[in-house]
Amino acid sequence: MTVLLGPSHIAMVAKGVSAIVASRDAALRPSIMRAVGSHISGDEQEVTVYLRRSQSEQLLQDIAHTGEIAVVFSVPSTHQTLQLKARRATQRPAHDGDVPVLQAYLQSMVQEVGQVGYGPQYVAAMLAAPLQDVVAVSFTPTSAFDQTPGPRAGAELCAPPSPPTPQP
Amino acid sequence: MSTAAPSLHSIRPCLEGAIPAVMATCDPDGTPNVAYISQVVYVDATHVALSFQFFNKTRQNILRNPRASVLVLDPLTAHFYRLHLLYERTEDCGPVFESMRAQLAGIASHSGMAEVFELRGADIYAVEHIESVAGEGLPAPAPRSGLLHTLRLCSESIARCTGLDELLQGALQGLQHKLGIEHAMVLMLDASAQQLYTVASCGYATSGVGSEIRLGQGVIGMAARERTPVRISHMTHAALYSHAIRESMDAHAAPDAPPLRGMDIPYPGLPEPHSQVAVPLLSAGRLLGVLFAESPEDMRFGFEDEDLLVAIAGQLAAAIDLLQAAPDAPEPLPAPTAAPPVSGSALRVRHFAANDSVFINDDYLIKGVAGAIIWKLLRDHQHTGRVDFTNRELRLDPALRLPDVADNLEARLLLLQRRLQENCPHIHIEKTGRGRFRLCVLRPVVLEDA
Repeated sequence: MTVLLGPSHIAMVAKGVSAIVASRDAALRPSIMRAVGSHISGDEQEVTVYLRRSQSEQLLQDIAHTGEIAVVFSVPSTHQTLQLKARRATQRPAHDGDVPVLQAYLQSMVQEVGQVGYGPQYVAAMLAAPLQDVVAVSFTPTSAFDQTPGPRAGAELCAPPSPPTPQP
Repeated sequence: MSTAAPSLHSIRPCLEGAIPAVMATCDPDGTPNVAYISQVVYVDATHVALSFQFFNKTRQNILRNPRASVLVLDPLTAHFYRLHLLYERTEDCGPVFESMRAQLAGIASHSGMAEVFELRGADIYAVEHIESVAGEGLPAPAPRSGLLHTLRLCSESIARCTGLDELLQGALQGLQHKLGIEHAMVLMLDASAQQLYTVASCGYATSGVGSEIRLGQGVIGMAARERTPVRISHMTHAALYSHAIRESMDAHAAPDAPPLRGMDIPYPGLPEPHSQVAVPLLSAGRLLGVLFAESPEDMRFGFEDEDLLVAIAGQLAAAIDLLQAAPDAPEPLPAPTAAPPVSGSALRVRHFAANDSVFINDDYLIKGVAGAIIWKLLRDHQHTGRVDFTNRELRLDPALRLPDVADNLEARLLLLQRRLQENCPHIHIEKTGRGRFRLCVLRPVVLEDA
């Protein structure tokens, strides 16, 4: 894929900031849930978001059926916001190897959300995620949008050179 | 998952704007979109209003595919709820829009985004279903206890009042002592002038009685114009909601009137209010005025404070209406009393017919109907020596130009009484019974009709 994200956006996703995931069903009804973790691969091509199955049944089902995924990343203290989209995402249960990622995400969020006035206990409750309940959803972004509030909100960061591959 | 779907009412803490909500929509081509929204506002048991600020992807999607999913978070328990919504319409004026616009101005100032946060519309959505999302969360804090009892105490003290002055003071004291609201005021509507005037206040360095606010100006004027509560949780720098720019009342004077100084009674409000709530005083569908409270703290007034103030305002408005409409006293006029002894240097009282403004020794006292009243009282007093007057004769006097209905005569007399108390202790007005009062002039008076 084309490199959509510049260094600052990659750093933002890698750091672990607020991440909200959406999809939709066959009738175009949207589904939504907050992620309990996020990660960007070392080659900066693949993004993984972690969801709790018990909190995201419809969303996971929609992603499985349609492949469609949209994720918005946002820094609470600065409102810097980025949305990534893809038409194909894969799911797998989280395992022990994901624990450091989830822990690092939680720590980053405690710091980020702490800056806007919510304590560590609150953030821990918000992101509580027993490993057996967690699903990792991975995708390669095919489009990216700057959504920082303001007149430029919604601007596409870099258009892909060719249309995305249609779903089978 | 909880068994019963929560009601919109039960998740109201999530709709206070403490934590931004997120919204998913879907393009007709099947691409989902997710975005933050500044406000999810409770409209009624089955509707919410979301703020429409930008023509963005969310906007495009919702106009073509009206289904939305919104995730909200309880700011105390960290419990998530999902709202399944169906877009109905957009309002760009009216009570919901204006109260959201005021709130947004506060949020925008607080988050340093005043320039980019402008409300274009209030998008009204039907709530089809609310899902309680699984999760451990934090234990819910104990509910605020005793709110109903507080309301009862305020209600009892309002119900005991027999006069307008007592009523307004009693209501403000109730806010101070029973609700811990230190800064508050009551403003009455002058319908013909399309403005509100402060008639009672508490917690300010100066009472500000007589200060005026146009309908639509600031939090107070907007609550009056739209007849809706307006609540702001963070200080706003938006000119529309700030009283910092105080209009000189001289601008309203007739063009040929001589330049007058000081015809602007300063608005008494806090210099830097962080939380404000203005509630219209409505009785039998008529707007009588506004009950207003503010605080130097952020997020001082929650939706429960608003509920409580709306309930108090309802009873206060009914009582104001009733006390003003009650027939004047049936008992005979008291025996004429001798005027109190007059001594000291003469007071120079000037009256400007153009706006009925009255100045005492060059200091502005009052204008409008209250100005016309004091001028009539002083003239009658000077010509005939009388000191006892009735509301009834004021109502019948065509020179005072009182409206036929809702003349607010009691409120205007109270305003006059207060202005005299604060600015001219040598002239005062005392109530001598229902619908009657006495004018006490302690210094010689020289009247000049300018």
